[in-house]
Amino acid sequence: MRVVSFGRTMLRALVYASIVAVMAFPIYWLVLTSLKPQRLTQTRPPTYWTDQLSLGAYERLLADPDIQHFFINSLAVAILATITTVSLGSLAAYSISRTHLSYRVRRGLLVWILLTRIFPPIVIAIPFFTIMRSAGLADTVLGLAIAHVSVTLPFVIWLLLGFFQEVPNELERAAMLDGCSMWRRFWQVNLPLVMPGIAVTSIFAFIISWNEYLFAAVLTSFNAQTLPVAIASFIGERRLEWTTMAALGTLMLMPVMVVALLVQRYIVRGLTFGAVKE
Amino acid sequence: MTGSPSPASESDLSGGESGGIPALAARVGGPTPPWRPRLSDRTIAVLMLVPAIALLLVTTVYPIANAIILSFHQYNPSLPLAKPVFNNGENYVRLLSDPAFLNTIRITVIFVVVAVILELLLGLGLGLLITAQRRGIGIVRVAMLLPFMMAPVAAGVLWRTLFNVQWGPLNDILRTLGLPEQQFLASPDQALASVIMVEVWQQVPPVAFIVAAGILSISPDLFKASAVDGASFWQTFRHVTLPMLRPIIAIILLLRVMDAFKVYDIIQTLTEGGPATQTENVSYLIWKTGMRFFQTGYASAMSVVFLVIVFLISLVFIRALDRAQSATGAER
Repeated sequence: MRVVSFGRTMLRALVYASIVAVMAFPIYWLVLTSLKPQRLTQTRPPTYWTDQLSLGAYERLLADPDIQHFFINSLAVAILATITTVSLGSLAAYSISRTHLSYRVRRGLLVWILLTRIFPPIVIAIPFFTIMRSAGLADTVLGLAIAHVSVTLPFVIWLLLGFFQEVPNELERAAMLDGCSMWRRFWQVNLPLVMPGIAVTSIFAFIISWNEYLFAAVLTSFNAQTLPVAIASFIGERRLEWTTMAALGTLMLMPVMVVALLVQRYIVRGLTFGAVKE
Repeated sequence: MTGSPSPASESDLSGGESGGIPALAARVGGPTPPWRPRLSDRTIAVLMLVPAIALLLVTTVYPIANAIILSFHQYNPSLPLAKPVFNNGENYVRLLSDPAFLNTIRITVIFVVVAVILELLLGLGLGLLITAQRRGIGIVRVAMLLPFMMAPVAAGVLWRTLFNVQWGPLNDILRTLGLPEQQFLASPDQALASVIMVEVWQQVPPVAFIVAAGILSISPDLFKASAVDGASFWQTFRHVTLPMLRPIIAIILLLRVMDAFKVYDIIQTLTEGGPATQTENVSYLIWKTGMRFFQTGYASAMSVVFLVIVFLISLVFIRALDRAQSATGAER
């Protein structure tokens, strides 16, 4: 009996360990490469561990004015896109979650909003390029943030819809009987209750914008360039600085990972547009 | 997809708010200042929708309309003073006989089918595994967060170093196991498989998380009943878990297929479509045609055809989703 259960425990530990290895080894490699001296990045066999760790690559990176500029752009675009999406999205989601408009209208809107999420971004990226140019928004933080809103808004409306639907109807009814207008019911009754939902949704919107590459690559050249474009541009260089590139990858991943851990409980909801709740 | 405005379906969206209440509230009235006419709830509901809808129209419908118009023109925006010139559907004629375009469609389909099947199978297995309440499962879950929280563009850069033929750890692992070294991204035969591998690495965790949530939402009574009936693990999986997961699997398929069609970032950083055009999917070709060769009209025609294809496929999946949900009686 004991032997069997010991064997099982070992087997399970082995399975878990191999999953963790497959998932996390590439990330370990990224972090290790960023800390290695440059000469140890191209060895045969590869260097899986070294004592000569240094933060040199990070120092170089953070002192680089271009990288600082891209970092600020990434942050500005993500914050702008998140605030815009969540404020417009919460109004729309609340309106759709209540029955003041006919079912047919609300259902139609939801399906249409879902369809806008289905479109491949490249299909709108190229017209965006010409539109932004004629609107004078090419290579601006505002222009890129607008493009990101087109991706995040459908997602946010669907996700927030679920949170608004969870607000008990009795509260809404009581507020109605007290003569609160829909506007006040939104601000004073619903919004405080869905604040956790707003926070979760904001984090997802931020991550989408922070990681977004295609629009950033098409719509910006330098002024509004973001970190994903910066890391992709390492590829073209002849003498690839592996340590700096890995440091940039690590720096991009860290904030996202921290906020993702905060909303771990809601990840499935976010992944499925609110269709599946954990 | 058809919704009749019956009271039963009303409650579907809001949880059963009766239609009489707004009228009552309006009659009772609040402390409304007489000098300011109070907007009805209906008007406010519309006003709340306007900004989001307007923005979505501007950011999706307008660019798509723009692409449709441009697809009938020849236009090179990189030339100063260039104006779109109408060319009578020539772009579409050219498209249908363009081997490059047909090739990208083939590659896209292979990519989508293989990647999504692998993600679903591995995701199901992993999902089953992480529903177990065992010690150490927290670490597995956190490790699974890493790949898909990474920007795909950065994942591409990272895997490029892992795939490196001379210095990469992957070939070193193969050598250690006594297997021959591989060319990975540099080989015309392995490049697409390598790109799919990165995509699967990033996307299996979210699939597994969704599967796990689905399994946890199945009533424990069903599992108890099948245990009482003496069902084996496989029998339970086959006859209880899998049928109950049908709507969840439909959602996963819809989302994953749609996203797999959109993949661009990892191709850009892993292979740039190469070697030759072995990993060039439709998105990448549209980008190349539009942004590198500045054949905006032609790229727009590709976009329109691509959009129609993706749209039709997604309709099929949305239908299947509706059917799966009504089959299991899920209320959403």
